[in-house]
Amino acid sequence: MSEKNSVIMEVKNINLRFGGVIAIQNVSFNIFEGEIRAIIGPNGAGKSSMLNVINGFYHPQEGEVWFNGEKRPSMEPYQIAKTGIARTFQNIALFKGMTTIENVMTGRQLKMNKNFFWQMLRYGPAIDEEVQHRRRCEEIIDFLEINHIRKTPVGSLPYGLQKRVELARALAMDPKILLLDEPMAGMNVEEKQDMSRFIIDVNEEFGTTIALIEHDMAVVMDLADRVVVLDYGKLLADGTPAEVQSNQAVIDAYLGVPH
Amino acid sequence: MFYRETGQFKSKYKEELAAFPLAEDKVGIAILLVIAYVFIPIFGIPGLSFEFTMGAIMIPVFIFTITTLGLNILLGFAGQISLGTGAFMGVGAYSCYKIMTIFPDLNIIICVILSGFVTAIVGMIFGLPSLKIKGFYLIVATLAAQFFLEWAFIRVAWLYNYNDSGGIEGTNKEMFGLIVSGPQSDALTRYFIVLTLLVLLTWLASNVIRGRIGRSWMMIRDMDIAAELIGVRPLTAKLSAFAFSSFYIGISGALMVFFWLGAAEVESFDVSHSFTYLFMVIIGGLGSITGSYMGAALVWVIPVLIKEIGKTAFGFDAFVMENFSIIFLGVAIVVILIVEPHGLARLWQITKQKLRLWPFPY
Repeated sequence: MSEKNSVIMEVKNINLRFGGVIAIQNVSFNIFEGEIRAIIGPNGAGKSSMLNVINGFYHPQEGEVWFNGEKRPSMEPYQIAKTGIARTFQNIALFKGMTTIENVMTGRQLKMNKNFFWQMLRYGPAIDEEVQHRRRCEEIIDFLEINHIRKTPVGSLPYGLQKRVELARALAMDPKILLLDEPMAGMNVEEKQDMSRFIIDVNEEFGTTIALIEHDMAVVMDLADRVVVLDYGKLLADGTPAEVQSNQAVIDAYLGVPH
Repeated sequence: MFYRETGQFKSKYKEELAAFPLAEDKVGIAILLVIAYVFIPIFGIPGLSFEFTMGAIMIPVFIFTITTLGLNILLGFAGQISLGTGAFMGVGAYSCYKIMTIFPDLNIIICVILSGFVTAIVGMIFGLPSLKIKGFYLIVATLAAQFFLEWAFIRVAWLYNYNDSGGIEGTNKEMFGLIVSGPQSDALTRYFIVLTLLVLLTWLASNVIRGRIGRSWMMIRDMDIAAELIGVRPLTAKLSAFAFSSFYIGISGALMVFFWLGAAEVESFDVSHSFTYLFMVIIGGLGSITGSYMGAALVWVIPVLIKEIGKTAFGFDAFVMENFSIIFLGVAIVVILIVEPHGLARLWQITKQKLRLWPFPY
């Protein structure tokens, strides 16, 4: 909901190919600071590939990613994580052997830096650091209302809660941009409402810029400030929900007409 | 009734992050330490001779617990499988032997710890394939390490100082005027040294796995792609796990030769031993420190006790009992894994959970 509309991230002319398969073809769009940006499109349109390009898991053959006003050099995912980009996954990618609090603590990994020696003694700086980050994690856990499952191994949690723990883990990174890959897939209406509320809360309270992929059009049109539509790797439309909804190309390719 | 967290309130995160947040656990650990440090040295294990208790049960179990801890860090916490444990113990033993030859006046404990560092470097080198390959393919790569190192222990005569026997042998080593290692050392002295090292290493391991580095290992184990996107560098996480694990395995190898066997040849480090250590970890429970203790104790003690009982109570031939103990151990492994695939540690956890609710079923 930024008034000044400053661009925090811009992708320019991205081309991504896997052998002969063209996943993304000459796509450009930008993300304003503090907005909720949705990426929609039919299956196989290149939405997840786009997120993978943004957080460095795929390296596009051509194109540039501009972040914070600078052109980003080619980096590995763990280096990009350091620049302040966090994400959740379409298929939940939690650390199943760990509890909720431990999973959220992993989000603080990059902010912790005490060396092996102090870690071995778990005394002095190492424990201070642990306590300090634990405090922030507990705040996020409170914020997302998952305190009752703090010490439950995440593998045994229901689907909706797992999605929420994953959001908590991404938030623990204090990201500048949060990428959400289908945060509401497979949820019932009530869970979708909860999740939407959390996404808006995160956006408004922490001021986090959010880019999300979602198939539920009602949710997308309500949440998003601006929408990008992809189809067969190409950019089909870009604009406010109202503009996109009335775009004939988008209706033909994806939205369809109500019967 | 006896094991409750009710009423034990924590008002600081630091208190909750303690090694044993529950008062009952603190008491339990204190009792175990008193038994290990006072009771067993004075009274031994009832029904068994003191010599047997020390030489055949306590010292080897403690040494193998260190091995199991090391392998568990790699396999249970970092998720990288290795079949080279036997050979890495050999690296510890041979490098300790070489360090003792080069610096004859160096304190033996320092030699043992230095040999741990040497093994850590070797382990890191053989851990390099883990950056590219996983699972079964990594087993094959570590198996190659096992065979290569075994070959080196036979062919590189420099490692055993060109002696005719081809083995390595401990000499009497003194510390504070006390013979602590070698043929004339007292079993009780060696027992205390091995026990103290075990306690120390357990404490360090439990600290590391609960902190940032331990978490990075578990992240790689559970979901390596997500770990990378959160900012864990796979290279650092995997190689540090290999190094830390090999450090423990190397120390246990050096202890095995110089504080227990007294002398060793390449057969003490062959692949069948690697499998035994793997059994210890799996039966004890992957990713559990308590499990490492239980696994090492069970897999080592059951055959030893069966042999001893057969010999003294029934007068069976040692050779017959040897086979019988192998059968029994095999059956025990199968039964335990069917009853509880997550090992003894999980059984212990379930017991604790039941104790918390006792006398109510749920």
